[in-house]
Amino acid sequence: MTAVVLDGIVLGLQLGLLGVGLTLVYGLGGVLNLAHGQFAVLGAIVIARMLDASFSLWVAIPVGLVCIGLVGLLIDLTLMRPVYKLRGEERVLLGLLLMLGVGTIIDGLLEWRYPIEALSIRISGDPVPILGVSMRIGGLVGSGIALVAGAALFVFFRFSTFGRATRSVIQDEEGARLCGINPATVRTTIFALSAVLAGLVAIARAMTAPIVVTGGVRLTILALIVAVVGGLGSVSGAFLAGILLGVVSTVSAFYIGSYITSIILLATAAITIVFRPSGLLGHRP
Amino acid sequence: MAEDLLTVSALSAGYLGEDVLSEVTLDVASGEAVAVIGSNGAGKTTLLRAICGLLPTTAGSVHFGQTKLTGLGAHSIARAGIAFVPAERHLFPTMSVRDNLSLGAYPKRHQHAKLEFVFELFPRLEERGGQHAGTMSGGEQQMLAVGRALMSEPRLLVLDEPTTGLSPLLATEAYSALAKLRADGLTILVAEQQVPLALSLADRGYVLDHGKIQLSGQAAELADDPGVRKAYMGVT
Ligand SMILES: Nc1ncnc2c1ncn2[C@@H]1O[C@H](COP(=O)(O)OP(=O)(O)O)[C@@H](O)[C@H]1O
Ligand SMILES: [Mg+2]
Repeated sequence: MTAVVLDGIVLGLQLGLLGVGLTLVYGLGGVLNLAHGQFAVLGAIVIARMLDASFSLWVAIPVGLVCIGLVGLLIDLTLMRPVYKLRGEERVLLGLLLMLGVGTIIDGLLEWRYPIEALSIRISGDPVPILGVSMRIGGLVGSGIALVAGAALFVFFRFSTFGRATRSVIQDEEGARLCGINPATVRTTIFALSAVLAGLVAIARAMTAPIVVTGGVRLTILALIVAVVGGLGSVSGAFLAGILLGVVSTVSAFYIGSYITSIILLATAAITIVFRPSGLLGHRP
Repeated sequence: MAEDLLTVSALSAGYLGEDVLSEVTLDVASGEAVAVIGSNGAGKTTLLRAICGLLPTTAGSVHFGQTKLTGLGAHSIARAGIAFVPAERHLFPTMSVRDNLSLGAYPKRHQHAKLEFVFELFPRLEERGGQHAGTMSGGEQQMLAVGRALMSEPRLLVLDEPTTGLSPLLATEAYSALAKLRADGLTILVAEQQVPLALSLADRGYVLDHGKIQLSGQAAELADDPGVRKAYMGVT
């Protein structure tokens, strides 16, 4: 049981990091990025291609993250401009449809060009005993990445001037503008950051299981579930929800069967919406 | 007479293609307090939002000193030195009082002197420094909204009905804080339904009705004007 829960936490930290990117972009401008998982896969495939070309991991990883960050930046500066001109429901719908389109295009391109490409990162080292369970080193390093990224985000949002400005736009966009904060700049920066975070998730996950070209949709769905359960717009909520769902997922896979895990995760999200519409740590604007 | 700090010329603005404001012209000189008075629906909020870049204008222009503001975004106008306190406050509800204040100074990092100034004006805010803005009383939220606006060291403070939701006592207190700021030399433009309060603060006033300036003059003259007394001060 301990082993299953620890595995759940390893998975959960990655899920949390995955959900954070989605939740931030939604909280800032109402765009539900349905290409978030595809961003992760795209980053992974860039890294995998570079590894194939015999670059070292230390070169491939930064290049992959920069590439996916640039893709995010470019999409925000082009496709998202008309979206942010709209208000309310229209903005949500157009944003969601455009990003669904982007996700489909990324999926199609990757499956067409690199159908059998995949990213696995093998970390050599003996398993480490934790609470009497021997944990594989890959999972631990992956969790470490997610933890460090989570802590860095926490510090950024709590203590940096730009991080606080970001939260202010999420809480009250008009109030933020009156303080001299340009919401468009904040949204663009965070959209690119969110894409980089997606790439980071792919790297962390690739240390326990391969990231394949067709894996994007599943990651997007997971990100969506985590963001909903955590409360759209809440960073700490996303991590809390990630860990909760990670544990729920490994425990149900172990005791019931993995075929039913997705349904249990979706049910958890549905139950959250019914009983806590604003998520674990979310707040209604 | 000091030179004009804010010059609004024949400004028109509205909603969904229909003008609510028609060709409003007003000016505020440096160091002056000016009131825009009018009843509910007269267009006061529309006028202030158009000046501050929160609402697109359809005609006319706004100048701040030599700078043309027309067409600039609200954040640029804020950075140019106009701080707007909307009637709904627009605070950041789940951030502390101190975080709200420090965002008022965005993107400046050195805020100590200004923070002390705000805490001196509103000691209540210092006591509540760590509390979330959303959990404070209406009067405290009003102080925080004004305090946040002051953090940017504005050259012009614009307030929309600062007495909204306040008891008569708190409303009077809010105006005495504004009077202190005015005595310190801050330039103020305030829109208000509570005409006696506004005219007690202001040097000059404009009467806005149906989106047009109907009358303007020294505050004392307006306060004595039979039409103004009848329409806005409950004198029959
Ligand atoms: N968001 C809006 N959409 C459409 N009409 C509006 C809106 N806000 C105000 N109005 C209309 O504009 C006119 C002036 O309103 P407002 O500027 O709020 O007046 P005041 O602040 O003096 O009470 C009113 O007739 C009001 O109905
Ligand atoms: Mg109004």
